[in-house]
Amino acid sequence: MPESNETQPAAPKPTDEAVDHTTARSRRDIGPTKIQLNFTSMIDVIFLLLIYFVITASFVQDEGVLTANLPKGTGQPTTKVPPKPKRPIKIVLASTGLHGARLSIDSIGGYATFTELSDQLIQMQYDPSRGLTGPYKPDHPVVIKPDGNVRWQHVVNAFNSAVRARYSTVAFAQAE
Amino acid sequence: MASRIFKRGPTTPEMNMTSLIDVTFLLIIFFMLVNNIITEENVEMIVPELEDSKARELGEVHRLVINVAPQPFDPKTARDNPLMRDGTAAKVQLGMDEYPMADLASMTADLASAAEASPKDGKGRPSLEVVLRADSALYYNEVQAVMSAITAANIAKVNLVAFTPEKTKRDAKRFN
Repeated sequence: MPESNETQPAAPKPTDEAVDHTTARSRRDIGPTKIQLNFTSMIDVIFLLLIYFVITASFVQDEGVLTANLPKGTGQPTTKVPPKPKRPIKIVLASTGLHGARLSIDSIGGYATFTELSDQLIQMQYDPSRGLTGPYKPDHPVVIKPDGNVRWQHVVNAFNSAVRARYSTVAFAQAE
Repeated sequence: MASRIFKRGPTTPEMNMTSLIDVTFLLIIFFMLVNNIITEENVEMIVPELEDSKARELGEVHRLVINVAPQPFDPKTARDNPLMRDGTAAKVQLGMDEYPMADLASMTADLASAAEASPKDGKGRPSLEVVLRADSALYYNEVQAVMSAITAANIAKVNLVAFTPEKTKRDAKRFN
């Protein structure tokens, strides 16, 4: 009987203290009660999440895309201009050794790196706004013709060189 | 008087954490599943690394990834000499479905039906972006076969995957 605490301080408590649900503070002396929030479970879960994401995170180099037109598309073409019967600039990749390739443009060859190839393509371009006075306009078709056993890396590198030189119509050669 | 209102005394409010933990576990399971699906879609391979890469990230579009996977390789030793690996393709994976190299016709059929089922843009053309992700050591023949199969499904444009430009400049690499 909780009310007996105040009025009869000397009387023995008949009730079991384990089930006495009032706290030690009585109603009149202490001010507002404090809210207790047990944070243990929340911290456990947060550490679980943290450890999971730390373990599954991996730092990889980003992969991007280059847009290409396929050789013979019955799908929708990206350019509105009808196909011109112009002789395209042919970038030929011949395979050397197990994994190398030899680059040439229209059989004028021997470029050592793709940057050199790209610079040569830029030289051949006609674009007054960039100060270029070559014979080919930027929309002149460019065809990339690799050997069958040239590694894919060189093929995409050649494509990237043409894109870097700002040619807009670059395609892969038809299969032989 | 306060003693009349609170007959039982002030109680310590307790917060029921069960719902919070339910939601947290739901989030954990969601991120675990999404992580697994994304890693399944990207078959393990080394994509081409370009000189002065013009590869850009593909935005949030409706895309379908076609993986041309190489023969199994050890990533640690492959990093030193990425092109000295087997150049034959092991399989083609369209989204999450795998096809052997001998059966590209069924890949064409599934790709065509996926293009048909995709949402159309304003002019009635399928707005599906096909992303071709091929390993850098593959022979051009292998990837050419896959590109022909994509063309046969009435798709004109394809995105080639390569690494985006690195933040630090590198010298132009000679590849012989």
